[in-house]
Amino acid sequence: MTSPTDIGAALQQDGGEGGAPEPFGLGSSPLRSDALPKALGIYPYAADLWAEGLLWGAVLRSPHPHARIRGIDTSAALALPGVHAVVTAADLPPGPDGGPDGAPAGPIVADRPVLAAGVVRHHGEPIAAVAADHPDTARLAVGLIAVDYEPLEAVTDPEQAFTAPALHPDGNLFRHLPLRTGDPDAVGEIVVEGLYQVGRQDPAPLGAEAGLAVPRPDGGVELHLSSTDPHGDRDRTAACLGLEPDRVRLVVTGVPGATTDREDISFQVTLALLALRTGRPVKMTLTREESFQTHTSRHPALLRYRHHADAEGTLVKVEAQILLDGGAYADVSAEALAAATAFSVGPYVCPNVFVDAWAVRTNNPPAGRMRGEGALQACFAYESQLDQLAARLGVDPVEIRRRNAMATGDPMPTGQAVTCPAPVGALLEAVAAEPLPALPVDDPDAEWLLPGGPGGAGDPAAVRRGIGYAVGMVHMLGAEGEDEVSTATVRVSGDHATVICAAVDSGQGFATLARQIVQTVLGVSEVYIAPADSDQSIAGPSARGRHTWVSGGAVERAALMVRHQLLQPIAANFGMSVELLQIADGKITSYDGVLGMPVAEALEGKELWATAQCRPHPTEPLDESGQGDAFVSIAFCAMRAVVDVDIELGAVRVVEMTVAQDVGRALNPRQIEDRIEAGVAQGVGLALLEDLRTEGGVLQNPSLTGYRLPTALDTPEVRIAALLEERDVVATFGAKAVSAVPAVVAPAAVAAAVRAATGLPVGRLPIRPEDAVAV
Amino acid sequence: MLPASLDEAVDALAATPAAVPVAGATDLMEAVNAGRLRPAALVGLGRITELRGWRYEDGGTAVLGAGLTHARMDRPDFAALIPALADAARTAGPPQVRNVGTLGGNIVTAAPAGDTLPVLTALEASVTLARAGASREVPVSHLLTGLDPVRPGELLTWVRVPLLHAPQVFLKATGRSGPARATASVALVLDPARRAVRCAVGAVAPVPLRPLEAEAWVAGCIDWDGSREIDPAATAAFGEYVAAACVPDSYGAEGAWEAVTEGPSAAAVRLRRTVSVLARRALGRALK
Repeated sequence: MTSPTDIGAALQQDGGEGGAPEPFGLGSSPLRSDALPKALGIYPYAADLWAEGLLWGAVLRSPHPHARIRGIDTSAALALPGVHAVVTAADLPPGPDGGPDGAPAGPIVADRPVLAAGVVRHHGEPIAAVAADHPDTARLAVGLIAVDYEPLEAVTDPEQAFTAPALHPDGNLFRHLPLRTGDPDAVGEIVVEGLYQVGRQDPAPLGAEAGLAVPRPDGGVELHLSSTDPHGDRDRTAACLGLEPDRVRLVVTGVPGATTDREDISFQVTLALLALRTGRPVKMTLTREESFQTHTSRHPALLRYRHHADAEGTLVKVEAQILLDGGAYADVSAEALAAATAFSVGPYVCPNVFVDAWAVRTNNPPAGRMRGEGALQACFAYESQLDQLAARLGVDPVEIRRRNAMATGDPMPTGQAVTCPAPVGALLEAVAAEPLPALPVDDPDAEWLLPGGPGGAGDPAAVRRGIGYAVGMVHMLGAEGEDEVSTATVRVSGDHATVICAAVDSGQGFATLARQIVQTVLGVSEVYIAPADSDQSIAGPSARGRHTWVSGGAVERAALMVRHQLLQPIAANFGMSVELLQIADGKITSYDGVLGMPVAEALEGKELWATAQCRPHPTEPLDESGQGDAFVSIAFCAMRAVVDVDIELGAVRVVEMTVAQDVGRALNPRQIEDRIEAGVAQGVGLALLEDLRTEGGVLQNPSLTGYRLPTALDTPEVRIAALLEERDVVATFGAKAVSAVPAVVAPAAVAAAVRAATGLPVGRLPIRPEDAVAV
Repeated sequence: MLPASLDEAVDALAATPAAVPVAGATDLMEAVNAGRLRPAALVGLGRITELRGWRYEDGGTAVLGAGLTHARMDRPDFAALIPALADAARTAGPPQVRNVGTLGGNIVTAAPAGDTLPVLTALEASVTLARAGASREVPVSHLLTGLDPVRPGELLTWVRVPLLHAPQVFLKATGRSGPARATASVALVLDPARRAVRCAVGAVAPVPLRPLEAEAWVAGCIDWDGSREIDPAATAAFGEYVAAACVPDSYGAEGAWEAVTEGPSAAAVRLRRTVSVLARRALGRALK
């Protein structure tokens, strides 16, 4: 067995601390600084935190998807020895009418109570919480809280939400977004129609929600959480507790997996409330089942499409109806809906587009942010439609896409011109040009992994191979007028630099990138990234691929300001302007290479600080016909999926995914490849395996056995055909966000390949075995 | 309690009948962590080395220790003895589970999708239940159906499996490439000495099911004296026969009566198709 120290040594060698020089600056691929501790299992996550004299929290959750709470009796729980506090909605600040309203909060609309007041609207909604001196005591006390429920009829079909009685004072419609452009009477020679469904994908982070709250002597509270939006979470927590934001401090601990907003507001407010009530540190770790119940999942969607095209396959008109099931609370449904609507045609040009999109409230688990929210559901539908169109015309699926592909400067259906690079055609060419993986007949001696896995029931005679293509797009940064801003401070002292920025590295690699930026600008190799907390200046959430651009931009500007401070006296000394000096290989040299000095010498005894902000150009909301410049920039990706399908059992194995992505500029190629692999794995999971099922609003599989995440055997070989570097001139370093778009495109590509293998329509994700049986 | 021998373990159980014996704990700890089970005491079987191996008896029977892990059963020496059990052990889960999960644990947990159970049912295996001063022999099928359950104070010690020296197959459908719970599984063993085919279908019902008529019928279709060939049409018919026998029309339907009058439910049709393909492939592989 390899001992941990061996692995450590190997990793360190790989990182280059032994012989070869460590990768330095932008464009190189240094090892993540947390890679070693994470591989060794010594990286601290929130669940590992400890404080002297801490109490344990536990939450009572609703067994009903929809019920009125007639009364809550906490006396038995309070009487249990070891219980220090029991809190309900009545312990939170009262609502506008003076009665308890559960202190509703939420990212866009504050409609989700911290603890249910009067009504529960989804299975697993928190109702009360307990702090006790032992986790078992806390859970026992939770069981002793008597709640008198009056079960109400649950609205679980999003199509019923329009006519059902209002489930919430805000009504059942989160947003209706119509998009109208062009001639409504345009008709194409060829018309294809389809109905598409997308199931409920859960982020299923490896680490369940956990946190520690410590009361502060000033009446405030300090929260240690794996938050991905420290300032937003702090502000919402303070508002729910009726405290000034300054009295709440949020310290970000190690994030155990995040492809979404990490902590839910109810969890952290409850934790803070228990700590304030007991005056003692309180720790809470959710079980896997609770984690599935409480965090938001991907919006299940129903999409109805009609594409009109001329005889050559050029799009004439697209009509669509899109329905997103937002679950019990609004969360970011409005934003997801905007993406689904604006990208409803995909990276194609179409003059006439008529879309109606709705996001509605049901008694299903709340849906929220998850890589490419909205864009993913639309991508599955429009790409399926293009496959249908290609089949109808007898044209190659790549050709039909090429004929309609969007290019830089083309308008989107929202009227916004795509001013960033849109190399859709080039991406398609790149994936189509890659060689295909070998077929088992080409290499009969090799042991082939058949659908069904090793030692499975696979029979080579029943296996069919399919190849499918898909292209997709996703926007970066906040949309529709959201104020995007990030702040960073760079400090250089002696031979090392420090970056202070509240941008959370949730695993996406921002800390590594920040280090590379400072190395490039200042020529300092030792760069320390300070842990994030809410006392630093605001950087915003880790979502929508914004940190590379916004926080990366802030770090760059701060570093440039430090650089100016550093070079100014030297330039004066040399008798030239600062612009004529450059920093490379640890040395400052003049433009002609005659004068120079080492960076270390220039920095000696100095301490230089600078803080800077980055705020990309503003956007505007979509108007009543879905028009407006709503997005800052857009990223594109093309994929080719190769699948093997056992057409008798319906087992599917994705053999290979070939990816070509528009990255603007590859700032850290290895990290980009990692992100693409992660996106592909998540997309393949949605395409074939992941579905958080509900029955009458009640979760059916809230466990990692029931909810099937892709394992190493389910995840395909990922071949990177191209990372196209066409710089986006307005973006920081010209780079585009890379994480979301692979997850958006992969499900559509897998569906196309299964369609090719089986000849079946495949209108539903995930593709169940019975949807792939073709005999 | 951590007894070092079988006798100590049996005595410990006799002294504390409420204690739960624990071997790999892959099922037990999941239940404990989820709060479904809070055992009064545990009897750890990890130190009883004699249960981790096997021996032979009367030339024709292997006596397997209940503590055999899935990983151990997957090794070539064991696979040569009882191939179907090795197949089942190989696909039972990820390596972490197979390294500690045991044969005895799989039987006692008696999960509907337990992978070794259809194999043991098809092999007509029996188990030894030991208690202080006595032990008894119970067929696996009686234990699983609850006809003759484990009594308080009893410990499952040995599993008796006939050695058939003929092809055996275990196939499962999971709908994915990685390790997963079976949606249906089929174990099929040939018994040339008795000119019999024995088959059990797992995961479709709370216990593995034996399609006895289909077995008897297909045994008559095989040329036992020659190369054991069979008409491909008979293989396909066997698949259908097994599926029809093991999946009722009302499978997955809410109101059983209503469903019967309307023919098989959609879920039954799907599951029958899967079982039929598995049974056909299993027979095909066994006779290859």
